[in-house]
Amino acid sequence: MTIYAQSRSGGEGTHLLEEARRQLAVGELPGAIYHDPEIFELEMEKIFARAWVYLAHESEIPNAGDYVVRYIGRDSFILIRDENGNVRAHFNMCRHRGMQVCRSEMGNASHFRCPYHGWTYRNDGTLVGVPAGKEAYGDRLNKEAWGLIPIPRLDQYNGMIFGSLDPKAPSLDEWLGDMKWYLDLFTRRSAAGLEVIGAPHRWMIDADWKLGADNFVGDAYHTLMTHRSMVELGLAPRDPQFAMYGEHVHIPGKGHGLGMIGAPPNIPLPPFWGYPEEIVRSLKENYPSEAHVRVAEKLNFVHGTVFPNLSILNVMIGRDHVHPPTPMLTFRLWHPIAPGKMEVWSWFLVEKDAPEWFKEQSRLTYLRTFGTSGVFEQDDAEMWRGITRAAGGEMARRNRMNYQMGMDHLAPDPNWPGPGVAYPLDYAEANQRNFYARWLEMLEA
Amino acid sequence: MSRTAVDALEILNFLHHEAHLLDAGKFNAWLELLTDDIRYRVPVRVTREREHGPGIIDHMSHYEEDRYSLEMRIKRLETEAAWAEDPPSRTRHFVTNVRVEPIDDRHVRVYSNLLLFRSRGDSPNFDLLSAERVDVLRRTDGGWKLAAREVVLDVSTVPTHNLAILF
Repeated sequence: MTIYAQSRSGGEGTHLLEEARRQLAVGELPGAIYHDPEIFELEMEKIFARAWVYLAHESEIPNAGDYVVRYIGRDSFILIRDENGNVRAHFNMCRHRGMQVCRSEMGNASHFRCPYHGWTYRNDGTLVGVPAGKEAYGDRLNKEAWGLIPIPRLDQYNGMIFGSLDPKAPSLDEWLGDMKWYLDLFTRRSAAGLEVIGAPHRWMIDADWKLGADNFVGDAYHTLMTHRSMVELGLAPRDPQFAMYGEHVHIPGKGHGLGMIGAPPNIPLPPFWGYPEEIVRSLKENYPSEAHVRVAEKLNFVHGTVFPNLSILNVMIGRDHVHPPTPMLTFRLWHPIAPGKMEVWSWFLVEKDAPEWFKEQSRLTYLRTFGTSGVFEQDDAEMWRGITRAAGGEMARRNRMNYQMGMDHLAPDPNWPGPGVAYPLDYAEANQRNFYARWLEMLEA
Repeated sequence: MSRTAVDALEILNFLHHEAHLLDAGKFNAWLELLTDDIRYRVPVRVTREREHGPGIIDHMSHYEEDRYSLEMRIKRLETEAAWAEDPPSRTRHFVTNVRVEPIDDRHVRVYSNLLLFRSRGDSPNFDLLSAERVDVLRRTDGGWKLAAREVVLDVSTVPTHNLAILF
């Protein structure tokens, strides 16, 4: 790629990376990393063409033929359950002239027929029909060699389906590493598993994708200012610093991280996020270890990011200023579109076997707080677009942003029962530093 | 004028007045126009083949509100920390193609097209949202009130950075 070649020979992107490397060692980063065309191109090539990227939850395609169209970088894939129940992801481009063979976002199909010339593929990707094949190609066309191109790598963890464009990528198991321990907290509360309700919210933000990942990986600190309206109205606990009271956990070398927040002092909150007794009973039976139960018992607000761009939020919050808080779970993807521009994909999930009344309350809580119109989400988007706009100029190259929270004065928590490195206070930026260390490592590889 | 013609004029005035209140930031006055049992919904839409209909998702919405949650959103705007709308967006609700359909003595169904303009900050860029609204209006002692609103957006992926604005 030309732009990359330019950066290799000393373009702005490389210069910024060298600067970022130097600064990160002392807990700083250049502001321009959030809005730089060459950094964006490098991210496409070095991160999104190599990472495991979240595609869907298995419950979105429960039956044979069910499909959803999903993206990695600029590439579109048809994620489909074939007639044998296997999940496959086909690159959404006809092998003949390259037309997208699927133009709807979701559905059920036994075949995909290209609207350009009619090449037709079975839902397992095999080319089965070529109009006027005999006349047009004689015996030349070996259909078996011309099926839809499968995604290079596809795997799942507890129903979370990921794909990678890199045939040589490490296994998903290795990619997630110790993050799996924490994913179990959200995905293994019930033997029935989670289900996505409806379809994801999708919307555009003129902001860099890393800002979403950065916010969820470790930024408990912003809640006191950004979400102050929610504290005032009682949708969040009436202590502006409530998000400080938690563990700040990162997985070294992987870029993943979470904040595991419980009740603030003097504000009693129910154990296990306030989930109804059916789910609490079920998680005690289904969690893979006693340590999971012990940790979950003290949780009310959990935020996290799976490197590079999947974030998870599992929090008990109010659906309005009158009703008591309800726990809800959302997965969200900060999908890079262009320099300074992302598309957000946000899913609501709930345990399949949860009581119906709870599913409904949890769903409403999600869509009013963290969906497109979410009263928390709104204020985050305002911050991220403001940062992105400020980061696009000359001065942002010189602005050293401060990522030093918790450096030197916070020591790891020796009593934390989970894996990774944990600090006993979520007002820290070790997770963010770990995220950007991984980001730099991939960009410079 | 006939009763129907009077009603039609009142309803048109209601829609225009309501749009004015939203654009002028008079949100508490807007709340006064809603019934206590208001149902306010903006469903998520997805792209499907024609045979599968308009692609409206039943179980996920951008908005799915009742009186409490709409009040919460307005109260939020009155705090000093509603950053998403302070400074406020400049909005303009263009309401056209109004059709009124009687339901019963007290209710009418009102279809309208909405073009919603939004501008934020000093950027010359703006966002446009186009939608069909299907409202149920109720005749009360205090005049017409909005009892239900469904807003069917003409987009799948929402082109604006949040829906901190009302339809």
